[in-house]
Amino acid sequence: MPEIPPPKLIKALGDYDLLPAIIFVPSRRRCDESATEVAFDRSFSPNTEKQSARQEIYDEFVIENPEIKRHKHRKILLRAGVASHHAGHIPAWKFLIEKMMSKGLVNALFATSTVAAGVDFPARTVVISNADTRGNDGFRPLEASELQQMTGRAGRRGKDNVGFVVLAPSNFQNPPRIAKLLKAPPDPLESKFRATYSSLLNLLDAFGSFDQVREIAERSFAFRHTARQITKIEKKNERVSEKLKRRIEESGLGITIDDIIAFERLVSARNRLDEKLPLTRADLRLRWLKENVKEGRIVSKGRSGKQFLLVLNVFGNNVSTMREDGRGANIALSHIKRVYAKRYKINERSIEDAFYDIYEGRNPIVKEPKLSNRRDDTEAPAALISELIDKLIPEELSEAELEKAQQLFWENLEDAGAIQRNLVDIESLKSEIWIPFENRARVLDYFGYLDFGRQKISEEGQWLADLRIDRPLHVGEALKEGIFDQLEAKETAGLMAALAADFERDYGELHLSNKLFGALDKVEKIVAEVSNAEWDFGVEPTEEINYSAAAAAERWASGANWSDLVRETRAEEGDLVRLLSRTGEALMQIAHLKGKNSAAAKLARETSEIILREPIR
Amino acid sequence: MARKRRGKSRHSGKPKKKNKSRSNSGYFKERKRRGDFAEGDRKPGISEAQKESLKRLLSGIGIPEPQPFVPDEFQTDALEAIETNDVLVTAPTGSGKTWIAREEIRRLLADRKRAWYTTPLKALTNSKYAEFGEEFGSENVGILTGDRKENADAPLIVGTTEIYRNQLFDALRSGEQVNTDFVIIDEAHYLADEYRGHVWEEAIILSPPRIRLLLLSATIGNAKEFAGWIEEVRGTKVEIINRAGSRPVELRAAFLAPNTQLFPLVNDEGKYNRVINQFARKDNDQGRYRRIRR
Repeated sequence: MPEIPPPKLIKALGDYDLLPAIIFVPSRRRCDESATEVAFDRSFSPNTEKQSARQEIYDEFVIENPEIKRHKHRKILLRAGVASHHAGHIPAWKFLIEKMMSKGLVNALFATSTVAAGVDFPARTVVISNADTRGNDGFRPLEASELQQMTGRAGRRGKDNVGFVVLAPSNFQNPPRIAKLLKAPPDPLESKFRATYSSLLNLLDAFGSFDQVREIAERSFAFRHTARQITKIEKKNERVSEKLKRRIEESGLGITIDDIIAFERLVSARNRLDEKLPLTRADLRLRWLKENVKEGRIVSKGRSGKQFLLVLNVFGNNVSTMREDGRGANIALSHIKRVYAKRYKINERSIEDAFYDIYEGRNPIVKEPKLSNRRDDTEAPAALISELIDKLIPEELSEAELEKAQQLFWENLEDAGAIQRNLVDIESLKSEIWIPFENRARVLDYFGYLDFGRQKISEEGQWLADLRIDRPLHVGEALKEGIFDQLEAKETAGLMAALAADFERDYGELHLSNKLFGALDKVEKIVAEVSNAEWDFGVEPTEEINYSAAAAAERWASGANWSDLVRETRAEEGDLVRLLSRTGEALMQIAHLKGKNSAAAKLARETSEIILREPIR
Repeated sequence: MARKRRGKSRHSGKPKKKNKSRSNSGYFKERKRRGDFAEGDRKPGISEAQKESLKRLLSGIGIPEPQPFVPDEFQTDALEAIETNDVLVTAPTGSGKTWIAREEIRRLLADRKRAWYTTPLKALTNSKYAEFGEEFGSENVGILTGDRKENADAPLIVGTTEIYRNQLFDALRSGEQVNTDFVIIDEAHYLADEYRGHVWEEAIILSPPRIRLLLLSATIGNAKEFAGWIEEVRGTKVEIINRAGSRPVELRAAFLAPNTQLFPLVNDEGKYNRVINQFARKDNDQGRYRRIRR
């Protein structure tokens, strides 16, 4: 379906008396373009009375919010009562629009669907032009709750008898789907409970033992589902056990349910022994590789064995490696030809050394053992298991009874196995919520913020617990290493912004000062170190630091004025505000620290005061 | 597929023919060229039945007579329930959830008690701070967000859920009590937020049972389960107040055709209005709508 151009769309809505309207469009750019298009349409005749009313509100508003003066859509809003609104606009812009809308001075607002959640200004009509919305990767169909969020803006209480949702045509419109979605029941609330360093430190300090922290974690809404699953499995297990028990008792052979379960475990252990027996040379080699290919080692690949790679990580049968030119390569474990003995740290200098050593012949090859199919090492345990199985059968049974007993054991093998598997399932379900906490505890233990064995947080953990920020570990390590000691406010701002920013967002290409660059280099090393530890303990590693954010924040903290910053970074105002406000908040957390960190705290306080000036707040 | 190649003999170098519309194409021209826009105002004849349904669709548009404010039943119900129990209110935006919170705060402040109002967003916190300051006197209201701390000892504190959770952490670690009798959790459905949702759960789990909770949420599909969970972890009773009828203002759905003709999206029986299908794309499978953008 062809689209209706925005000016014509607004006119049509006006003809049906459906204005004011909020028009949802798929991207920030389209919001801005559509508003411009409407405002400069030649057939548009402005209502001078409303125009001057808008001007009046604006004149008053701009006194308190001077950053609005240079807003690129100022004229459009004032002239035509049309506005664009999305997360790229500065917060004050939203308030201005809100003010005008509440007085009925805005005819049309073009907005992205992400804005729907935070907007508190209803209109008579909402227009939906896309049945899809932008997800994390590409477009996906709109969800019922998202549509509800949007239609929730239609109809002003006390100002409208009826509210409207109008579907406008586009290539990505789907009226039947939306019609269905409008009738859909509301989505259920789903838990997104997760472990964080901050919560773990605070809870452990408050309650004093892992058991108690675990108990708290298991009170989460997420665990309620898990608990229900567990009860279900337990009930199933009970039923199976009951049946099994009855069958055993009926036999009258003096065999217990425990005997059957023991039998099942022994039999499956014997089966596993057989399975573990490597069948081919390739299997044996793979097993050897698994034991010897380790992070930080050099391996070679290819027939000639002359392509060298540095191992970064091994997961299952895959190895993630780095080539000499710095590019990453994922290879299968079985493709590795040789393994070299030395292990290197994963940082810039030692990586260079690693490849240099290889060419200089200073890194010996790990000798591969002669591989052969040895059967004998599993024979003894297998025999032992068979002996144990025999012992399960009661003594002094007649020939007929013995046969009956054996039949009983084998016939119930499957049920006993099911009981066993269910118990394992229950165990793993039970630890699902807790394991991420435990893994984080090990990372914190590694860096000295808590003592895993004694289940206590250390002195350093005490102050880290007070830092309620997104990446406490990185900031904690930076404080411990004294990185802040050599910095001034503007570099401190840059450093914290690098950690506070979204990893993938681009805030322009301003230059970093040398001093800040040096500090970020050190932070980068910390990030690598933390990520390595996180990998080792099964915690998803954190993202990298954002250099463009650092540069933007450094510029802001050195006293740049707002419009220069926006112009030079070419970032969207709303994104900059969010970045700097988050940076300021993180700094205020540091500002509360005491003792050894009091110098850094003072610096953080000063920096936050510089950063949190208008229009950041 | 093999492409036909033209001999290079006649034109050496660049091809002479240029795409003219490209040379000076602004955004609008570019889109016109792509055929994004409908052509003209060709309205096909409208049948009497269609006219009738359009009339019904648009009937009653306009501004209602001003009416004296009378609280809805769900509002007074909630206010009654909160005197003795925790309460979960589920209702769509704009239907008057804040009114309940405000009246309960009024009652508490008159009794010299203390309340905490949590919101997920700084902007929302700021506007609530202004709103309550006007209502209850600015000396009675304080604000706590990541970058703002004013009048922190006031009997009513407005702040982000993170800050409230942090206060719970601090209280637990120091063995003290959070200094409040009542907590309002606005936009409680943020519990399902991918990144921040855990904070809401922590706040609910760690709030001591002596503190009464009023949770204000958008309409959710599992209110009973949610309330049941709160009862379990806090050992309190949670009453669910659901706003009868889903919206404060009636909602009607319509489809605007490329020729700007307006159609009701559903017919009188509440079924999808098939007349709209004539505008579907015909260039792919039998005029069905394309699903997802590639």
